[in-house]
Amino acid sequence: MIELTHVSKSYNRGKIKAVDDLTLTVNPGEIFGFLGPNGAGKTTTIKLVVGLLRPDSGRIAVEGFDVAKEPLKAKQVTTYVPDFPAIYERLTGLEYLNFIGDVYGVPKAERLERIGKWLEIFELASVVTNPIQSYSHGMKQKIVLAAALLPAPRVMVLDEPLVGLDPRAAHQLKEMFREHCDAGKTLFFSTHIMEVAEKLCDRIGIIHKGQLVACGTMEELKAVDRTDTGQSLEEIFLELTEK
Amino acid sequence: MSAKGAGGPGEIGRLATVIRAGLRSNFGLATLKHRLLKEKKDRWLVPLIGLAAVSVIPMFYGIVLLIENVYGVLKPMGQERALLSFGILAGQLLILLFGIYYVIAAFYFARDLEFLIPLPLRPGEVMASKFAVIVINEYLTVAAVVLPVVITVGVLARGGAGYWVNAALVYLALPVIPLALVSLAVVAMMRVINVSRKKDALILVGSLVLIGGAFALQIGLGRSGGGGGPQASAQAIAAFFTSPDSLLNRIGAIFPPGIWATKAIAGGFRGEGLANLALLLGVSLVLIAGMVVAAERLFYRGVIGLGETTGKRRRLTRDEMSRRVSSGRRAFAAIFGREWKIMNRTPIFLLNGVLVSVFIPAIFVLMATLDRGGRGGGSAGGGDPMALLRALMSANPLVVILGAALFMTICGSINGTASSTFSREGAQFWISRMIPVAPREQVAAKFLHSYLVAMLGVATASIVAAVFLHVRAAYLAPAAGLSLVAGVSLTAVGMMIDLARPLLDWTNPQKAIKQNLNVLLALVADVGILTAAFFGAKALIRAKLETSVVLGVVLAGLAVLAAASTAALLKFADKRYPEIE
Repeated sequence: MIELTHVSKSYNRGKIKAVDDLTLTVNPGEIFGFLGPNGAGKTTTIKLVVGLLRPDSGRIAVEGFDVAKEPLKAKQVTTYVPDFPAIYERLTGLEYLNFIGDVYGVPKAERLERIGKWLEIFELASVVTNPIQSYSHGMKQKIVLAAALLPAPRVMVLDEPLVGLDPRAAHQLKEMFREHCDAGKTLFFSTHIMEVAEKLCDRIGIIHKGQLVACGTMEELKAVDRTDTGQSLEEIFLELTEK
Repeated sequence: MSAKGAGGPGEIGRLATVIRAGLRSNFGLATLKHRLLKEKKDRWLVPLIGLAAVSVIPMFYGIVLLIENVYGVLKPMGQERALLSFGILAGQLLILLFGIYYVIAAFYFARDLEFLIPLPLRPGEVMASKFAVIVINEYLTVAAVVLPVVITVGVLARGGAGYWVNAALVYLALPVIPLALVSLAVVAMMRVINVSRKKDALILVGSLVLIGGAFALQIGLGRSGGGGGPQASAQAIAAFFTSPDSLLNRIGAIFPPGIWATKAIAGGFRGEGLANLALLLGVSLVLIAGMVVAAERLFYRGVIGLGETTGKRRRLTRDEMSRRVSSGRRAFAAIFGREWKIMNRTPIFLLNGVLVSVFIPAIFVLMATLDRGGRGGGSAGGGDPMALLRALMSANPLVVILGAALFMTICGSINGTASSTFSREGAQFWISRMIPVAPREQVAAKFLHSYLVAMLGVATASIVAAVFLHVRAAYLAPAAGLSLVAGVSLTAVGMMIDLARPLLDWTNPQKAIKQNLNVLLALVADVGILTAAFFGAKALIRAKLETSVVLGVVLAGLAVLAAASTAALLKFADKRYPEIE
């Protein structure tokens, strides 16, 4: 579960308000899609949730742990996939996975089973002993995803996770999302792909100029659509974010 | 269609644009302006840098006095020009040596190459832009060596307009010839290395060979041919500068640009001055042109594909996987392992971090080796620095122990490993922020890594002190003890400085360590701590206390400082980690 209560964050000494009084709850077992135009505040919100940024005001809790007051407990139950896979290029894929397994305290038996599973799914098994430096962008993205899945976290936060993935990997990742949430866990991700959000997400939030302009299931969002002309998420998105 | 044909800028305009972009990107002027004026960050650095600048004034004053004295000895003999040559040659050789680092990093490891290469630019233009950045960097590097000599001699000799105008032009041209030579050597080396599968290892070995060669050249030439002995100072200085077999004449014979530069400055607007100035500038331009031509043929062949690694595609068997999947190390061990692997596998970090800690001991080994080769066993002949050091090392035991401890501490702590430990993570720092490991535990693992690198320097220095300076084991042990304790606080202070303002947005790994201001600030702090320790020990010696008492008090003082600085570091880590955005 992720809870944001009246969270605000500004840059440049308050001149640029990236997130403005955002209140939002993502429930256990829920895939939550976070949409918004470029610069709307998606990545800032995500970085606030995982503790990479500190809010100016408001409270953020993950699985009941206050991110500001109990950061280690919050981090222990959360993994994060950034929008760009900046990882240790001089380590091999397996060394990176071992590092993540060590710092999250994943026992060997579970580690072995999960590493084997995700390496097969992401087709990384034959390159896992090579330096990450030698991987393509998509392969780097996959090793970050495999590392995020390794601790089997209760909450996963992903920033544009489908960018750079081939169709097969994207399909498998979407299946993994469903599997993760069916086990009662929480998944919060940002995307620009409306079709994915529409088909995959239990609920969707749309952020514009730092404010949550819509939030709910697909049916609830359709009810918000005042034009009553288009019923697709894309049209709703365009209407809500045109100003 | 060419850019010009498409209505774009001409070749000169395009080159100027590329150079301007390179300078802006490298020196981060826009970012600095934004941080200082808009975000109002880093303002605390301004007075600190001012303070650091003020603190070196006494040192420069001492250098100026020394130059003045030497000038006074040389002037009656009409040899004052040799002093000018010495300053200029020292600057050029410094560029030759350190330029190797800069050139390899800027030409081959800068991340901006990824977007520069696809642009419609010629390889020579890209290389020229990078060359300009290095030249400007070198102006700063050699300023401390060249400017005091040129300015002091100019004032003492009452140099006219010709002296100062030519001096300014020579200063601007000074780094060009050595850097162009280094660039040509590096471009040729990288062209060969890029076809190899073991690129990283070869880059390391190749760099060491180039550096070793530059060192050998300097030290080999540095063996003064004149006699006299250290006691005959005026005669020794005169011989050093004027003997036909002297350092200057030998370097001048091998590296004439230094002599041209001297004659250009000293000759002023007279025929000799203008002719040598023309020669210096002409050769500089010819070498730049040669470098651009070489770049057109070799640069991209050396750089494209350099980042590619030759990993084989092979699946691990179940047993192999089981063996290689860790059974669960503690987070501390995992972070230490990460630091160790990344440092040792990144050639720029390894060269500028770990290897620097054995740099100074290596100079001593080279000096001693060349000394033996040249003199057949190393006599205490005139001007022999090793003999002088050996003589010092056979003095009062307390002085020997403290001197050896200082030597070991400097060898251990001069590298930038501690003061770049957070900066080196760069864009990957988000991982350290995200993992569920307390900042103080992460910092403790990083501390151990930096401290082990310092210990490597201490160990190497101990061996050099024992083998080449003949320091007895009874003196080495307490000296090593002192330097190991001193290393704790120096490591902690270096890490605190880097943690206070980590440089995480670098695109060239050289920036994270070699061009990182934090490394310089840490060196200033180290000098401060060691100076305080020096004056403390000096006061104790003057009080005529027993050797064991003096050593005990110094050790206790350093231990208190070590405990306080590590406690402060861990506390600062808990505070600072969440603040870094």
